[in-house]
Amino acid sequence: MGRQRNDILQGTLALLVLRTLAVHGRLHGYAITSHIQTASQDLLRVEEGSLYPALHRMEQDGWVKAEWGTTDKNRQARLYSLTPAGRRQLAQEQESWARLTLGVGRVLRFA
Amino acid sequence: MAWYHRLRNLMRGDALSRDLEREMQFHIAERAEELMGQGMTEREALREARRRFGNVQQQKESTRDADVVVWLESLVADVRYALRALRHSPAFTAVAVLSLALGIGANTAIFSLINAVMLKSLPVPHAEELVSVVRFQGSARDPGSAGAEFTNPLWEQIRDHQDAVDAFAYGQASFNLATGGEARRVDGSWVSGSYFPVLGARPLAGRLLTRGDDDRGCPAVAVVSAGFATREYGASEGALGRSLSLDGHPFVIVGVTEPSFFGVDVGSRVQVYAPICARAIMQGGAGILDGRSTWWLQLMGRPRNHYGADQVNARLAAASPSINAATLPADWPVKFQAPYLRSTLGTEPASTGYSDLRDRSRTALFALMAVVGVVLLIACANVAHLLLARAAARQREMALRQALGAGRGRLIRQLLTESLLLALAGSALGALFARWASGVVVGLLSTPHTQIWLDLGIDFRVLVFTIGIAVLTGILFGLVPAWRASRAAPQTALQAQGRAATSGPGRFAITRGLVVGQVALSLVLLVAAGLLLRSFQRMVTIDPGFRRDGVLLVSMDAANTGYSKDQIGSTFRDMLDRLRALPGVRSAGASLVTPISGMGWNGDIEASGFVPKSERDGVVWFNGVSAGYFATLETRLIAGRDFGPQDVKGGSPVGIINESLARKLFGAANPIGKVFRTRNGRGVSPPTEVIGVVQDAKYRRLNDDNVATAYLPLTQTDPFGSSLNFALRTDGDPQALVPAVRALAGGVNAAISLDFTTLSEQVAASLARPRLLATLSAFFGALALLLATVGLYGTVAYSVSRRQSEIGIRIALGADGSRVVRMIMGEVGRLLTAGAVLGALIAVAATRLLQSFLYGLTATDPTTIALAVASLALVGLVAGAVPAWRAARHDPLEALRQE
Repeated sequence: MGRQRNDILQGTLALLVLRTLAVHGRLHGYAITSHIQTASQDLLRVEEGSLYPALHRMEQDGWVKAEWGTTDKNRQARLYSLTPAGRRQLAQEQESWARLTLGVGRVLRFA
Repeated sequence: MAWYHRLRNLMRGDALSRDLEREMQFHIAERAEELMGQGMTEREALREARRRFGNVQQQKESTRDADVVVWLESLVADVRYALRALRHSPAFTAVAVLSLALGIGANTAIFSLINAVMLKSLPVPHAEELVSVVRFQGSARDPGSAGAEFTNPLWEQIRDHQDAVDAFAYGQASFNLATGGEARRVDGSWVSGSYFPVLGARPLAGRLLTRGDDDRGCPAVAVVSAGFATREYGASEGALGRSLSLDGHPFVIVGVTEPSFFGVDVGSRVQVYAPICARAIMQGGAGILDGRSTWWLQLMGRPRNHYGADQVNARLAAASPSINAATLPADWPVKFQAPYLRSTLGTEPASTGYSDLRDRSRTALFALMAVVGVVLLIACANVAHLLLARAAARQREMALRQALGAGRGRLIRQLLTESLLLALAGSALGALFARWASGVVVGLLSTPHTQIWLDLGIDFRVLVFTIGIAVLTGILFGLVPAWRASRAAPQTALQAQGRAATSGPGRFAITRGLVVGQVALSLVLLVAAGLLLRSFQRMVTIDPGFRRDGVLLVSMDAANTGYSKDQIGSTFRDMLDRLRALPGVRSAGASLVTPISGMGWNGDIEASGFVPKSERDGVVWFNGVSAGYFATLETRLIAGRDFGPQDVKGGSPVGIINESLARKLFGAANPIGKVFRTRNGRGVSPPTEVIGVVQDAKYRRLNDDNVATAYLPLTQTDPFGSSLNFALRTDGDPQALVPAVRALAGGVNAAISLDFTTLSEQVAASLARPRLLATLSAFFGALALLLATVGLYGTVAYSVSRRQSEIGIRIALGADGSRVVRMIMGEVGRLLTAGAVLGALIAVAATRLLQSFLYGLTATDPTTIALAVASLALVGLVAGAVPAWRAARHDPLEALRQE
C-alpha cells in the first residue's frame, strides 16, 4: 500500500495519475493535469504544487518511468509512462478505492 | 527498484535540480499558452501561469526533500524499533553481543598485530619511496639468494661510487651503559651520517647526526630516543650535552629523536644511535671498520632523480663489478673469491622497514588469523541460531505487520538493522578487548633479553577492518533469519495452530546444518590446539643432555680493563678457581658458547675414513670448554676423560666429542685415541686426538636434530674477543649467587662487565614462541568448544521445546522417560557424528599448514585427532543430555495443555 499519508487526496492523486497514464500511454506533467481536469469535467483540479513531488515519488517507487522527449510542438518535455509495477499498483489502488467508496457509502446510507 | 532510484538521486544532486527546473518551466509555458489562447496577453498569461503554479523553488525543494527525509525517517524508525526489541530481551542481547565481541575482538587483535608487524609504513615522510639495498649471488636476481649484510668497506664504496640510491647504513648493537659490574644493556644502532637525513627524521631536541659526523676519526657523539632521555634524565632537553658510557667508552649526547621514531627495524626500539666512524674507538673497532669479512651493516635508501625500480637496479648492477673488486677480501680462498666478484647489488621495496621479527612471525600470524576467523564463524553461527529461534517466536508479529501493509523488503531491512546493531555493539566491545589482548600477546612474546616493541595504536586500517568485519558478520548471521522470518505467508501464521503448522522439518534443516558446521569447525581448532600443545609439551620434556635447573650463567667481558689477550686469559683462569671456591657453588665451568643461547660456532671436520654425505654433513658444532664444564652441566662422560691440567696451551691438541659425532666419524669403533682435523679459512688444524666421549646435548636450539659437537679445551682455542661464559651449579636458587659473583669480579677488576641469567631462563626463552602458540591455540580451541557447546545446547533445547506436545503424548501413551531421552540423544549423536566426520576431514587437510611449528609430531597425528574427537563427543553429549533429561521429566499434561 505504500507510505501512509494523512492526506487522502495525495493517495487519490497517485491513483488518478496512474489511470491517466494507463489510458494515454506517455504524457508530460502538464498534459496529465489537463486530462484529469477534463475527464472529471472540471470537478477535480490538481494542486500544481503537489503534482511534481508526487510524480517524483511515484518514479522513486518504480511505478512510472520518465524520459526526456520532444512534444509535437517541438519542445523538450519530460514524458511519463507506466511500468509493469505501476500497472499492478493501479489495479491495487482501484480495488482499495472501490472498497473505500462502498464502505463510506454504506455508512452514509445507514439510517 | 525504489532504493536504487533513491541512491541514484542522492548522487545526482545538481543535475536533478536542473531537470526539475526545466520540467516546471515547461509546465508553466504550456499553461501560459493555454491562457493566451483564452485571450490574455503573453505577459499576463505568464504571470497568471506562474501564480497558479506556485512557488517553484519551494516545490523543487519539497521534491528533493521528500527523498532524503523519507529515507532518513525510515532509517531512524528502524533503529529505534530495533533498539526497543533488543532491550526487551536482555539475555539474548547479552549473549549475542558477548559472542560477537569475543569473535570480532580476537580478529581485530590479530589483525592489529599483523598491521603493526607487516603493513605499517615507517613513521617517516614518504616511506613508500624507501628501498633496501641487497646483494644477490651472481647476476640472476633470485630473491632467495639476496643477502642483506654488508661490510664497512662495501658500504663506503656504495656510498661514494654509485648515483642510483641515496643510501644509508645501520648496524644492530647492544650497548652496555654500565662501566663495570653488572651490565645494563640497551638496544642501539650504529648509523651512517646519511641515516637521519635520508629518512627525513627530525629532532625533538638538539640535533641529529649528519653526514659531517661520519668521517674517520670523528668525535664520539650520540643521539638518544625520547623515551630513553625521559627515563634517564627526566626531560628530553636534560639529555643534551650529557655523557653516556657505551661499552665503557664515553659519548656525548647531541640530540633526541621524536617519540614516534623507533629506527627501521619493526619490533624493536632503538634507544641510542652512534655514528659508524665512532666504532673505531671501541674494542677491535678499527679492524671492524676495515674488515672485508665482517658483515654487520644493512643498507637502505631512497632512489635518486625519481628513478624507477628498474633503472635503479640496472645502475646498481652496472656499478657492482668495480665495487666488488675494490673490496675483495684478499685472504679468502680462490673458491670463494669468484662468487664474491660475481654478486650484484639490487634493491627491494622497504617502506615497512626491515624486520627480523616479521620474517620469523609471518607464518604464525597468518595461522592465528585463520584460527580467529574460524572462531568468529562459530560465534556468528551461534548468533544466527539465536536469531532464528527469535524469528520463529515472532512469526505472528511479522505476519501481522505484513497484513497491515509492510513490504517484505521493509521487514528484511528492519531485521537486518537489528543484526547490524548487535554486530556494531559487539565490535565496539570487541575493539576494547582487542586493545588489551594484542598487548598481552606482545608481552608474552618478549623475553627479558629480547624485548619486543610494537606500535599497536589503532590506525585507519584497523578501524576499517573492524567496521568491515562488523558489517559483514551482521549481514552474515542476520540475512538468513530475516529472510525466513519475512517469508511466512500472513494468513497461515495468523491461524491459531500457526506454530505447529510452520515448525516443519524444513526449519530444522538450517539450524541442524549450522550446528554440524560449528561442531566441525570446533573440532578443527581442537585438533590444532592439541597438536601445538603436545608439540610444546614434547619440547619442554626433551632431554637436552644437561640438567637445566640450578645453574647460574655469567658472561664476563674484560673489554674495558685494558688487559692484553694473555692477561685476560690468565684472569679468567684465575676467576674460575675463585668461583669454584664460593660458598654454595657445587661445581663450575667455563665455555665459549652456552647451551640454547642462539649463538654458535661451527666448522668443517675431517677424519680418515670419514666421507661426508654432503657438504653440510661435514659441518659440525664446536665449543671451547674448561675442565669441569661437563660436570657442572651434568652432561655424562661416557668414555675416556675430561680435560685436565695436562691439556695446556701449545701442548698436544686434544678434543672431546659427543656420541653423534663419534658415530658419524668412526662408526661403531672406539673413538678414543683416534684423530680428527678441523678446517677453517686459514687451512687445516693439526691432528686432534679424541680423549673422551660425552652424551649428546642440544646446542643452539631445543629442537635441533643434528647435534654432532666437538669440544676443544679453552686453553687451546682462540677466545671470542674479550668475553667468556661461566656456569655455576648450586643446590639452591642460582640467583642467590649473584651478589657474591658480583663482589668477586669487582674485586678482581671493577671494569669487568657482567651479564647474569640462569640456564633454565635461557632455555625457557627459546621456547617463548612455541609456548605462545600453544597457549593461544588452547585458548581459542576452548573458546570454540564453548561456543559450539552453547550452540548445540540451544538447538537441542529449542527442538525439544518445539516438540513438547509430541513428547507429552508419547509419555502419556506409556513411553518411559528413558525412551524419550534416547530418542533425543540419538538426534544429538547424529549431529555430533556428522560434525566430527566433517571436522576430521577438514582438520586433516588444514593442519598440514602447521607442520613447521610441530616437533615430534606429524600434522595428522592420529592420537591427537582421537583425543580431540573424544573431548568434543564428551562435551557435546553432556550438552545435549541436559535438555533431553529435562524434557523427559516434564509433566505430560502440562505439555499437552500448551496447545
